[in-house]
Amino acid sequence: MGKRILSYVFIVLGLAALVISTSRNAMQYISEKRDTTAWWGAYPCLNGDLVSLSYLDAVKRFNPPPDHTPFMHAAHAPSDNIVLYLHGDSYTYHLSDSVFTGTSAFHYIDRNHGMEFSLDSSKRNILIIEVSERYIRPYFSTLRILDEVGNTSKNKQAQTTVFANGQDISYASLIPSFDVNDLFNKYINQNLQCNLFNYNFIIPVFEYKAALNYYVFNRASGDVVISKDKNFLFLKETVSLTDAGSSYTHLNENDIKQLVSNFNTIYTHYRKQGFKEVYLSMIPNAASVVQPEGYNKLIPRIQSDTALKMKIIDAYSLFKNNPALYYLPGDTHWNSRGKQAWIDMVNEYLKQQQL
Amino acid sequence: MTFNSLQFLVFFMVVTLWFFRLKTQKGRIWLLLIASCYFYMSFIPEYILILGGTIVVDYFAGFLIEKNVGAARKLWMVLSLIANIGALAVFKYYNFFLGNINTAFQVLGKTMDLPFLKMALPIGLSFHTFQAMSYTIEVYRGKQKAERNFVVYALYVMFYPQLVAGPIERPQNVLPQLKEFRAYNWDNVKEGLARMLWGFFKKVVIADRLAMVADRTFGHTPESSSVALLIGAVFYSFQIYCDFSGYSDIALGAAKVMNISLMENFKQPYLSKGIHEFWSRWHISLSSWFRDYVYIPLGGNRKGSLRRKINVAVVFLLSGLWHGANWTFIVWGALHGLFVILLVGNSNELKEGRPAFVNTLRVIVNFTLVTFLWIFFRSENLSNALSYIQQIFSLKGGTHYIGISKVEFLFSLALIAIMMLREKYAAGHYIASNSRFYIYTAFMVLACYFFGVFIENQFIYFQF
Repeated sequence: MGKRILSYVFIVLGLAALVISTSRNAMQYISEKRDTTAWWGAYPCLNGDLVSLSYLDAVKRFNPPPDHTPFMHAAHAPSDNIVLYLHGDSYTYHLSDSVFTGTSAFHYIDRNHGMEFSLDSSKRNILIIEVSERYIRPYFSTLRILDEVGNTSKNKQAQTTVFANGQDISYASLIPSFDVNDLFNKYINQNLQCNLFNYNFIIPVFEYKAALNYYVFNRASGDVVISKDKNFLFLKETVSLTDAGSSYTHLNENDIKQLVSNFNTIYTHYRKQGFKEVYLSMIPNAASVVQPEGYNKLIPRIQSDTALKMKIIDAYSLFKNNPALYYLPGDTHWNSRGKQAWIDMVNEYLKQQQL
Repeated sequence: MTFNSLQFLVFFMVVTLWFFRLKTQKGRIWLLLIASCYFYMSFIPEYILILGGTIVVDYFAGFLIEKNVGAARKLWMVLSLIANIGALAVFKYYNFFLGNINTAFQVLGKTMDLPFLKMALPIGLSFHTFQAMSYTIEVYRGKQKAERNFVVYALYVMFYPQLVAGPIERPQNVLPQLKEFRAYNWDNVKEGLARMLWGFFKKVVIADRLAMVADRTFGHTPESSSVALLIGAVFYSFQIYCDFSGYSDIALGAAKVMNISLMENFKQPYLSKGIHEFWSRWHISLSSWFRDYVYIPLGGNRKGSLRRKINVAVVFLLSGLWHGANWTFIVWGALHGLFVILLVGNSNELKEGRPAFVNTLRVIVNFTLVTFLWIFFRSENLSNALSYIQQIFSLKGGTHYIGISKVEFLFSLALIAIMMLREKYAAGHYIASNSRFYIYTAFMVLACYFFGVFIENQFIYFQF
């Protein structure tokens, strides 16, 4: 009798784990609500996403150094006649209009969600496409941006955040939808890992394994790779020989030409839609600048292509000279100094637009 | 859903516990079929339509073959084979042949841009179409009655433990087991779970660790030293064995837990003393499929030496093509066929009763041969394979880095030795004592977790 009840309990718990881990909404709710401080709370991820991914918090060299650069606000501009649209990814999350020069409004377009817009014809509408290197080929080898970002967006479920003078104007609602692919969430294993094992009291077990790998086998666990100079962690997909987002995957001239052609199509399309200028800013993978030997030079090859119509905000040339200054050792992203350097570059271009 | 994923562990727990709570075989069959559909759809949902299509065709073909005699009977069997082979031809080989036609036209100075099919290969297509063909051929031969129950037949093709990478089963073995209600059996559960754990160990601790070396050397061939390339080739030999036989162990173990016995797929192939013996120990379900449905119908060894050699060549070429739509697989199959023809023709190949040291030497020579042939199997194209082999023999310098540290290299060698010794001297998985079973389980779980390389690697044979 006891075994029977126990088996039903496990069936129900197992089904619940599968269903919850499949549901995007449930996972979003859980991730927002979970405490990180209690012993049953979620792993707080304090030292960088790659450190967290590999459970190497105990290795001090991968912890973020004290970052002394204060996050600067933009200098005041004579007129606020620019409406800035920034199509970006996690590198440019959490920016507000106060950091950009001369903007009357700032619209952030998350690449994962898309957005529909309505241009203000009384202002200078500027579009900046920021893309981290590992997403250049996966995203811009097609023209899906034209479907996802436009005056007549097909993506009615788009979540958009619009800022003006530092205040949120609106949030599009998350409309529940059903698609057969929702039943087969490709992130179910990460979600199960999170639901079943992401508790502070279990984390030491993961850290023991990570320590075993690091100190005995001299490597990180899972999807994280240690740089040759031992000072940085890289996401494995950025250093493999086969992933499209890798800095070391072989690229032939046709690959570059195809990307340039797509960027030109995107440029022409948005100029026709009413943007005064469209800028492209490609943020290099940490591996591209920290470990340049064997780099496929995706960014410099695109930037130097004479057929490219888009204007470039060149982060690569700045970051390659001193990557340690701009990148976090245990994170896929730049540090606040890198972010500020990029904002400064953007502001230089925005000043030119005001002239 | 790969076997080495959390999703599978939870899925397996739910399905197995539910399976034993059901009191009728009808309920169990429905549960297993629905679970198998979910399992298959977790890769790419839409592809279940292809699988479903071939199941429906073969189910009705079975009836029609059984009902008719003579030419009509043969006709229905041939139509069923055309449907199955047609699915393979379209989804697996169409782009390959098209690419070769385009290349041929380019060589002739003409352009022929025929359109490619833009879709991924359905997971495990070669496995389940071969299993389905086995059914219709056996019905045609009168060795198997056409299955009346559609759900049972669909489950025969889709039974999730062996759906995507075999073993390629025969209807006589599986269908009766699917129809018989068998009570919960603790001994089978223990044996099945122990076997699954051994399979997980081979996959996540050994195969995925060795994969780091093979991926490195096959990906960095030009700058690697001859020694590094040789180590990479040897490690790939053990990687593919631990990967595929580990998958088979998990499949057989998962089925055993539910009281279903599937056919063995491996019998320590790297201890074979010759290439012929290797093929009687490696991927047994496929080699016996080709033997029963291609080699023997072609005449086998009954029509003289020359005909036997031609038959062997045909079987190995088809075997190579079965593995993938790439010239590397075809050359790999052709070379195996060539060595089987050359060496089996030599009466020494099959001679027994030699001194131990001679047998040991034969095992080493055979392993070396098989390892070199695996280079074709692993390489992206023939040029890379030849370059890899050439660089091994050039004895050139270069980087000795093989993708892992020296400590991990030695650890990998120890793991290979443990695996070989365990399978030679303690091949069974049944543990009679409960306490020893619990200790074994705890030890293997800890070993898999702490020494496992969890990089979400699919099993190599899923691509076929």
